[in-house]
Amino acid sequence: MLGKLEKCVELGEKLGAKFVEARFDDLTLRTLTRVNDTWKDIILRSRKGIGVVCYFGGASGYSSTANDDDKELEKVVSKAFKMARVSAEAASIKLDFDKRPPVKGTGSDAFHPKVHPQTKDLSFKTDLVDRLIINARESGQNISNATGMYGELYGHKLFTNSEGSVVEWDFEVIDLGCRVTSKTTDGNLVNGVDAARGTMGLESFEEKGKTPEDIGNSAGKHAKEQLKAKACPAGRFRALVENQLAGVLAHESFGHLSEGDFVVVGMSPLSKKMGERLGTEHASIIDQGTPNISKFGGLWLPYDDQGIRANETTVLDKGVLKHYLHSRGTASYLKQEPTGNCRAVHFGFAPIPRMTNTYFTPGNLNKEEALELLDTGVYAIQTSGGQVQGDGSFLFKAIRGYWVENGEMKDPLREVSLSGNILALLSKVEGGTKDLHLWAGYFGGCGKSGQFPLPCGLGGPELVIGEVTFGGKAG
Amino acid sequence: MEFENLKDELLSAVDSSLKYARTIDSDADFEVYVYYENRTQVSINQGVVDASDVIVEGNAVRVEKQKSISFASSSGISTDRIRRSINEAIASLKTLSIKDERFKGFCEPKPPGNEGTLAKEILSLDKEELVNYASNMVKEGQKFYKRIHAVGSECGAEWGGFAVGNTLGVQQASRGVTNGFEVYCIAIDGEERRTSFEFDLDREKLIKPAGYGTKAAQKAVSLLGAKKLNKTGIFPTLWTPIPAAAFIYASLAQSAMGNNVVEGRSPLSDKIGKNISSSKLTIIDDGQKPSGINTDAIDAEGYPQQKNTLLEQGRLEQFLFDTYYANIRNRESTGNSVRSGRTLPYEVSPNIRPKNLEVKPGNKNLDDLMNSVSDQAIMIVDMPIGILHSNVSTGEFSAVAQSAFLVENGKKSPIQPVSVSGNFYKGLKSLLNIGSDLEKTMFNVETPTLVFDGFSIVG
Repeated sequence: MLGKLEKCVELGEKLGAKFVEARFDDLTLRTLTRVNDTWKDIILRSRKGIGVVCYFGGASGYSSTANDDDKELEKVVSKAFKMARVSAEAASIKLDFDKRPPVKGTGSDAFHPKVHPQTKDLSFKTDLVDRLIINARESGQNISNATGMYGELYGHKLFTNSEGSVVEWDFEVIDLGCRVTSKTTDGNLVNGVDAARGTMGLESFEEKGKTPEDIGNSAGKHAKEQLKAKACPAGRFRALVENQLAGVLAHESFGHLSEGDFVVVGMSPLSKKMGERLGTEHASIIDQGTPNISKFGGLWLPYDDQGIRANETTVLDKGVLKHYLHSRGTASYLKQEPTGNCRAVHFGFAPIPRMTNTYFTPGNLNKEEALELLDTGVYAIQTSGGQVQGDGSFLFKAIRGYWVENGEMKDPLREVSLSGNILALLSKVEGGTKDLHLWAGYFGGCGKSGQFPLPCGLGGPELVIGEVTFGGKAG
Repeated sequence: MEFENLKDELLSAVDSSLKYARTIDSDADFEVYVYYENRTQVSINQGVVDASDVIVEGNAVRVEKQKSISFASSSGISTDRIRRSINEAIASLKTLSIKDERFKGFCEPKPPGNEGTLAKEILSLDKEELVNYASNMVKEGQKFYKRIHAVGSECGAEWGGFAVGNTLGVQQASRGVTNGFEVYCIAIDGEERRTSFEFDLDREKLIKPAGYGTKAAQKAVSLLGAKKLNKTGIFPTLWTPIPAAAFIYASLAQSAMGNNVVEGRSPLSDKIGKNISSSKLTIIDDGQKPSGINTDAIDAEGYPQQKNTLLEQGRLEQFLFDTYYANIRNRESTGNSVRSGRTLPYEVSPNIRPKNLEVKPGNKNLDDLMNSVSDQAIMIVDMPIGILHSNVSTGEFSAVAQSAFLVENGKKSPIQPVSVSGNFYKGLKSLLNIGSDLEKTMFNVETPTLVFDGFSIVG
């Protein structure tokens, strides 16, 4: 396959491209979903294809195919070049970049789990899901729906370019999760969820907190607790934001603003703010391709889809903006170093600046101290997603929470939305706990420019925030 | 692959694959789905151009044997790749015998419906033309006003089709063409920043993006000068077509889907024949409208697409089904099976979605509607963020309307973002009015402005 990719590069250069990148993905995906007593999805996917980027006149053109025969590849290169050529005139911002020494990467850069999902058959994995449901039912109450899900994505990636870089590595992420829906006496439906996920081996599902029994129990218990939970009052309150929700804030509302393509075009509120203070000294955000996943969890991404080696990029350092997340073109335009953040969801798309593992760095509080610092307000836990806008405004759903009074956890709260602007929020971060947790899933994932779902890691400690707007019921 | 012989080639791939599958296991039932699409796209963002011209092709196979079912898909539509899926799916059945007692068989053969309009001129839309369209819209937006800070645009053209066959005798194909554009503008005044966008998606004729850059810019500027509402309480809310489409899609479209009904996630399960909304509301889902983007001769499992009435004057008429969920309910499919993944549709196992939703318009224009609300009301003009993450089971929603106006004495003035929350299903019952301003909008929903009472606003 490397020979075919090298031919693509050669052909693109012959046509007149200034620089050519060619990559090959051979990925396997499996999804197992059980809804109540029925197996809804047992899905196997093979995603195998080639993508070519041609650069010309400061613009780029992309083409891809699932067919690797030589004639088809010639067409692909010629289409990529043509798209770059017709775009060059309209490109008033030129994202050229200089050549660098070639990168040579081999399989040894990949993470090697003890029990790779490839080595276990489907029945091993369906058993994990069955155990989720059994345990969810044991610890839940008034359950109307119990869903168990297992997902895996793994495979080989190969890359080469006009510099002669050759990068080869294996990607892997697995995910085991449970969602329980229970019905309250007045007919409302409430949810409880839990999951274990990230680049890890199947042996991880034997660890405390990650076993199917623990995950199922936790989802069931949370749904049961929600039966008696109250609606969160609407208004502005102090907040303690749990690790996963903190990660979503780091990723969705801040991380996207730091992506180079967004900055280059001046659309990000972080444009031209390098070196400025945006948050308190308790707010630091890092994006890192190869974190200590055995300790913290997360995703293992040794290279991006431009063959750039993974980086640890401190985006926000104690409240001060330090770096953006780049492709080669955006890095060069903004006179920074590439950060290994140019990723594509699959071979059908050109790579663009994306996050890897994005997280708030931990603070020095223990849980008790965090609750004490919170004093009175909302402890918001987990998230079912949300939405953000380019100016940093966000709305996220916390799946559950607690009302906290004088540092003591009181009534459980139902699903509640948090909204605001990330830049305002960063200036209200008062502290974080010592514990850092990262998550990266097969289910969910990040969406940008039609590329969804891209597995990304996110996380942080628990953060105490001076004021957050909570939705809920007014009046 | 050429458009003219696309159907024949896809059907031939399906036919030979089914024959191969039969030789592997003559006791099993098979379904083979083959997808091919040519997708060209140009986007310009403040002068940065990204352009792609890709082929999306792939296949999916479902196998059923004694109520055990498996699914496998792979990129590519060559014989080898389809056979790979067949072999994977069979291997999965062999290692794992998980029965789904509710499965009663794949789709039975029926005469197909009609393909939507296939405007041939879209096939020959030149790539340079797409770049020009995108570039001109950006220029228009930038020219409009000095406070327009950023303009971005995207133009694209697609053509393709799919074929599906199964061992019960289904063997059908359908094709589609579309072209479309999107342009957004951001107007900035000091710290204030307002966004608006315009778009079109068409299968009947070539897009005409001229003028839309200016329109988006005008809209963004009109949102500047927003004041804080500084109030919290219950207000009537006017949802113009884009947010109204999001409301309908996030609420009724979800709870009317047969899978949500059967699996206990929809609160409408026992409400057929009952009034679930104001009698002003009639909603249909038309899978056969020639101009509908999702119009096809058949749905994703080969069942003929059709026109379905969901709500007739507030009364819930029917749910949307594919064969699997229809069989559980002992009824016919409504032709709403989809493979819903946007990027690689063939990878997604069949599911249920509306095809082309239409809300029947009323007879009041937007000015009439503004005058019809007593005291104060809030007008929402873009998709409130968070609305799509609402809970279909409970209907509870809480979202932030970034672009909103306070309506008072028939006049509107821009206000800073407000959070709007409430319950979808209660909202449908307290629908006050429906506008006459029917628009083709997002999520393939055509709707006019909707006016609701009873939602909480936090300003």
